[in-house]
Parts: sequence; structure tokens; C-alpha cells
Amino acid sequence: MKLPKFLRSNAVSKFIGGQPMRLPRLKPYVPKPDDPTIFWFNSERKDIVREVVDRITARHTVDRRRMELALNDAAFHETRRLESQKDAEAAESLGYWRGLMRRIARMSDDEKRDALRDIVSRMGHDVAGNFDPRVYAFSKHAVPRLLTGVMRPSSLPEVMPSGESETVIERLLRVEGEVELLRRLEKKGTLVYVPTHSSNLDSIVLGRALEVGHLSPVIYGAGKNLFTNPIISFFMHNLGAYRVDRRVQASLYKEVLKQYSQVMIERGYHSLFFPGGTRSRSNLLETKLKLGLAGSAVNAFANNRVNGVDRDVWFVPTTINYELVLEAETLIEDWLKAEGKARYIIDDDEFSRVDRWVAFFRKIMGLEAACVIRFGTPVDCFGNPVDGEGRSLAPSGGTIDPGSYVLRQGKPVFDPARDAAYTKDLGDSLVRRFREETVLMATNLVAHVLWRRVVMATPGLDLFARLRVRGEVSLPREELEREVGALRDKLVQMESQGLTRVNTSLHDDTPAELVARALEVWNGYHTRSPTTDLGEDIAADDPSMLLYYQNRLAPLAPDVVTEEAHVEAAREIGVVGAIR
Amino acid sequence: MSAARTMQIGVLGGGGFGRAIARACARNGHEVTLWSRRGKQLPAIEGVRITDAFAGFERAEVSFLAVPSPYVEDLARELGAGLDGRHQLVHVSRGLIGEELEPISEALRRVTPCRRLGALAGPLVSEALEAGSPSGAIVGTRFPELADGVRLALGGEYVRVYDSRDIIGVEFASAMVGLLALGVGYGLGVGAGPAALAVFLTRALREAGRLAPSLGADPATLLGLAGYGDLLAVVAGDERPETRLGRAMGQGASLEAAATNAGAHIEGVQIARRLSAHAKRLRLEAPITDTLLAVIEGMPAAQAMRALMARDAGTE
Repeated sequence: MKLPKFLRSNAVSKFIGGQPMRLPRLKPYVPKPDDPTIFWFNSERKDIVREVVDRITARHTVDRRRMELALNDAAFHETRRLESQKDAEAAESLGYWRGLMRRIARMSDDEKRDALRDIVSRMGHDVAGNFDPRVYAFSKHAVPRLLTGVMRPSSLPEVMPSGESETVIERLLRVEGEVELLRRLEKKGTLVYVPTHSSNLDSIVLGRALEVGHLSPVIYGAGKNLFTNPIISFFMHNLGAYRVDRRVQASLYKEVLKQYSQVMIERGYHSLFFPGGTRSRSNLLETKLKLGLAGSAVNAFANNRVNGVDRDVWFVPTTINYELVLEAETLIEDWLKAEGKARYIIDDDEFSRVDRWVAFFRKIMGLEAACVIRFGTPVDCFGNPVDGEGRSLAPSGGTIDPGSYVLRQGKPVFDPARDAAYTKDLGDSLVRRFREETVLMATNLVAHVLWRRVVMATPGLDLFARLRVRGEVSLPREELEREVGALRDKLVQMESQGLTRVNTSLHDDTPAELVARALEVWNGYHTRSPTTDLGEDIAADDPSMLLYYQNRLAPLAPDVVTEEAHVEAAREIGVVGAIR
Repeated sequence: MSAARTMQIGVLGGGGFGRAIARACARNGHEVTLWSRRGKQLPAIEGVRITDAFAGFERAEVSFLAVPSPYVEDLARELGAGLDGRHQLVHVSRGLIGEELEPISEALRRVTPCRRLGALAGPLVSEALEAGSPSGAIVGTRFPELADGVRLALGGEYVRVYDSRDIIGVEFASAMVGLLALGVGYGLGVGAGPAALAVFLTRALREAGRLAPSLGADPATLLGLAGYGDLLAVVAGDERPETRLGRAMGQGASLEAAATNAGAHIEGVQIARRLSAHAKRLRLEAPITDTLLAVIEGMPAAQAMRALMARDAGTE
């Protein structure tokens, strides 16, 4: 079952002129003093876009060569994109870009300046989001109820008016980590959440986690492909999401995105970036981060200091951990096809299929903590941890002024090359923090034990040969439970050393219950099940799915192995996810 | 950046290289403070304040750490307690720390609040710096302003300072050259000819290229001043301590005796063992590192040569 065509197609968005819908407003909303910053957004929206446009235009119009380069680059990339797109947008805009390309050489400096400002302005308006407190208030209550309804349609009449739906969602979704500290810090400075990315559900569950933790809503960039569904588009747009069209390659557009993010952070809007750039296809923790937007936060901090604004920016390493991943099958298949490069944008996966949503939610419905959001200790823009008051801490334990990092010969200066270097360093430290803050689930453990067996049973084979070994490796249930138990004990011990985290079920359940939990979750949801329950034995059914679920702890494989006979296989697994 | 700007510069380490850096910076007109545990017992250097305390280092824009890698971490921790984000640290060590082969720059990031970090490497030796004879170096850093600072501090008429953004690559290349210089010395000691040395070094660079990504380094950096350029200086006979140690061992001296003879802390000896273990862990082929380790641990020269020569030669 797919979404009705009118919801999937561009028909509605074409009807409303390609812009996401907004509710009419007769009287402007006047934010209350204790409203989060984002409630002020609509009154600042125009000003923000103008500032973005002014800054970029000023940067490019300093000399003719730079201006021509920017225009040529935009015209070239946009023409190429629209020629291959061949859609309504192409019919509308291709002529403009082709014409511009022909005219650039003949245009006067003033005409070039006007054209550049016009392009940047159009891009800025396309990107900028909206925030409607009415939509926020509605979604706050409606989302848990709707999700509950999807999970248990029969109970819909009872839960809709009551508060039971919140309880159901809260049981399903566990929020842990530095929530209290974040509540204090969000009043003092700007928070930038940087989560791991596994599923298109991430931004929804993260939004819910912020509500559960009584934290302010955040702005974030959402792929334009998500805006093609007008309902999702309506909510995203009106809850502060800005649109990111990954198909647009023009460097001016990338500058608009970064500058928009920078201006928002400078003004104190809490933000969210997925530094992995896209969902992890392999389920390995991100090791190569796309840091463009994170860089905009560092630039925002520096620019504020140069302008005498003493507003701190803190990054919050966050992990989103699922017992069951909605799009697991599509993602791992994509990774295996071309190691993640095949399709940067997937728009026909489980996320777009209502039947998979229903199956997914029904499956995880009865589970406690099927999704764990963990907010790690915040760090400043330079990777230093902060204390309860947001003061940056040096390794010696003393406090240091983060502003010292942007000083040159005693004065704060704006230096994009320096800030790019800080961002790269920050990215390296985030990768390490992700590993420490990842919460491992029963499915990760069971998959790891079985995948290790597959590796042991296929010495010398390459990955793809291994993936063809379907149903040939099996393990007596007792042995599987024993190994899962040993792995759990080791991970719990590592958790006490701050090296990783485990889900509450790993503390509370017996190994037999953990195995049962994983098999129950997989069975009946995934069309290609990772395991088959043969009664006495458990067979490794689809190795690619086992690989996917175990990849979350692959880098730890050599550290968690307890039996001598498994060491070699564990080492081999560990190489895949190594950080350096 | 004004060429005439006078900087406050700190140098930590009273060994040959530390003193040479201090002298070169003072010659360039900068205000230099040299720290050493021996303090005032060190011979005076014109224009350089010598001290055994860290007071005053918070005023230094750039500080060079010129102590052997086993001491860098503790020293940096002590020094770092008085520093913050404005300070720039540059180390000159050829070492990598611990079994994980942690680059020194990462250790500096771990134990100090400083982020503007650099690694100075390449064929620059203390004798050339002291004497002011033409030479060159490379500074690995992600921060262009730090590269400018090092250029201003050390560069000039006699020293060309290049830079690379691949700081880990520079550190790895420098460590590899430390190890390979020992190998070159050993080869000379046992009477290996130019062709044998050429094959040894060329294949060693290829091996280093295989190991580089596993440590976060770009293999291309090995072909610059930090790697290939520095090796050329070794082959041209710059008589660095690593070569002296290797030659003494090749001529039959024990490791201990050869180390005493070399008169400096030789990082390569430790690197060989850790690098070999690292390669085994990751299943990377490292026959030259393994053989150098075996030699350091006492394998006779003829056997080592046979072990390398008996390997299948494949396509380059």
C-alpha cells in the first residue's frame, strides 16, 4: 500500500505554487517572555533572509571576476540539473538560466549585481522556514495520538481524547542523558544538536524527545524530497524546518544554506544538524562527517564575538538508537550496492509506505524503550566540555574563555580558514563521542553474535560471498543465549568505564529474554528476516540484515570478545568500523 | 602579517634541537624564552631567556615543544594548565604515543586547551639551524595562521618553511623516516650498496603508504618534505642520531651500546614494535617494519636480508 497519488505527487505543491502551505493569520502572534526563541521567528523572518542575502551579495560583488564566477557557476549547475529533471520546475526555470548563461558576458556590473542579488534572494526565500505556534501546539498533542492510532487502531476512540497516548509513546521512547543541563543551557546560549542519523523518523522522534524533556523546539534543514508530501511539508515548514534541496549544486545555494544557519545561530535559534549528512546506510556509526553546517555554528560564535555579542554556542552530541529500524532493508541494500554512493536521496523506501509504518509501529508497540534518544554532554565549539553553568572546562579542570579561541594578537577576528580547522577538530571529537554515547540494543547484540558465527564459518571469504551464506549457519538456542549473556556482561562493564552505553533492557532482562526480544522484533516486520527460529536452533537467515544490526557495535568487536576461538573473527569485524 | 613583527616565542626542551630553534628565532629578532628542567645550568644563548619555570609562557604566541615523545604528554599537561585557546603549540617529535600510535598532536589536544597545533618535520636538523646554513622544513597544521607564525619565527634567508594541512600525515611521515633512517644506517653498517638501499627505501615508502590511512594520514603526504624529502637528507648523509644508531648496530654493537653512541633518544626503536603490532592487528602487510623490528631485537643481518629478498617480487 502506498500513499494516495495526490499526496505523493507534486500536484498539490504545484497548485500552491511550490511553496509549503501556511495557515492564514489575521492578528500577529505576540510571543510571551518565556516562549522559546523560535516563537519570535516569524517576526524576524524577513530580516533574517535579508541579512543572509546582504552578506552573500556583499561577499561576491567586491570584484567583477568573483561576481562572474558565482553567476556562471549557478547558471551552469542549474541548467544541468533542470535539463536532467525535465519536470514542471524545469519548464518554468530552464529558460531563465539558459538566458543568463548567454547574457553574463554582455551584462554591465550593475546588471550582474542585480542578477546575483535576485538569485540569492530567491534561494533565501526558498530555504527559509516558518514557525506557527498554533501548528506547534497542535502537533505536540496530535503526534503521539496519531502514532498510537497507527499502532492500535482499535483503541483510537478511547485514546484520542485521553492522555493515554502520551504514556504509550513515552514508554516506547526513552530520553536520557544531560536533559537537565540542556534545559539550563538553552536559556544562556545557543544549542546545536548533532545526532546520529539512521531513519527518516529521526527528526520526528527527536522533536518528540525535546518535548518530553521540556526542551525548546529547534530549527533544522530537511531534504526538499520530504516536502513533496504536502502534509509532512505543512508540518515541517510550520515547525521551523528549512528546505534543503540536495539536487542543487550551485555554490551560491550552499552558501545560502550555511549563511542562513549561521545567522539563525548568531541570533540564538537552537538548531539541529545531522552531521552524517544522510542516513547511515550500513548502520555503522558515522566516522566521516559533513561539517558544512557545523562550521556555520563555529562561524556564528566567532562572528558574534567580533561584534561584541557574548553568546555561547554549544554542540550536543546525540545518539538516536532503535531496536528496529524502519528502513533497514532498503538502507543496507543501498550500502551493499555501491557502498552508500548509489542513491544519496532515496524517496521510495519504507518511509514513504504507510503499510510499512503500520507494521513497524505495531511491532515495536509493546516494547519498552524501543527507541532511545541520548543527549550527551555538551561541548563548546572547540570540543571542550562545559560545566553546569556552561563554562568551558580545560583538561586541567579549570575554566577557560571560549572567546580566546578566536583571538589573534589579542583581538577577536573572523577567520573562516581558522574556523574550518576548528570544525574539523570538532568533527573528530564528535565521532569519538558518538561511540561513547551510542546505546546498544538487544537486536545489536544478537545480530553481532550470529554475524560473528557467520564470519567464523566462512574463513577467507569476502563480504559478498559471506552474504550469500543464507540459512547455513545456525546455533543452538542455549549457546546463542550464553554468548549474548557474555557479550552483555562485557558491554555493561564497558558502560561503567564510560566507553559505551546499553539499553535498560540489557540491564534488566535475562539473556534468554534478550534473544527472545530481538527475534520477536525482527520476525514479521522485516521481509528478509535476519534469523529463523528452528526451535532448538536459531539460524542466521539473512546475513545482510545481521550485518546491518551488528554494525552498530562493529568497532567494539575486538574489545567485547570473550572466547579465544572468536578472537580472529572479532578482529576482522572490528576493522570495518575503526575510527582512524 | 608584517615581516617585521616581533613575536613572543617559547621553546621547551634544552636538547640540541630545542636550543637550535631558540637560537634561530632569536636571530630572526623575536623575544625567546627557553624552558629546560636544567634551567640556568644550560649554556647561555644570545638573545634567549633561559628558565626552569613555566611562568611567562602564557605570553608566548607560539611555543615549540622539543622534547622526546615519552615526555611530551606530561610536559604539555603541566604547561597547558596556564594556557588557553589563543596559544599555538608546535611539536618537533618523531614519535607516536602508546600502542595505539596516537599522534602527538592528538595527545596535545587531549591534555591542553590548545587547538591551534602544529608538527614541525622535514630535513631540518639542529646543525643547519645553529649554523644558519640553507635548509627547509614542513609544518603540518590545519591552521594557516600557525603556519605563518612558524614561518615568521624560523623561516627567512636560510630556512624555507612549507606547510601541509595533513598534520597527522606529517607526524606519521616523520615517525616513519625516524624508523627508516635507522634502517639506512643499519644497511650502511652491514655494507649494503646503493641499489639495495634504493630498493629498501622505495618499498618502505610504499609500505608506509599502505599503513598511512589506518592512522588517519594521507599517503600523499609521504611524498613531500616530511617523508620523501627527509629521507633524501638521510641518504645524502646528514648523520642524524638514528642513522648513527643503525650503523653501530649494523657493525655489531648491541642496541644499548649503539643508543649510547647515538647520544639521543631514538623514537624509531619503539615505533618499530608498535607499528608492526598495529599492522598485524589490521592485517596489513608490513614486511619491512617487521624485519626492522626483528633486527632491533637481534636478528642477524644475513637472516634479515634473506627474509626480505626471499619475498615474491610483484608488480609495483
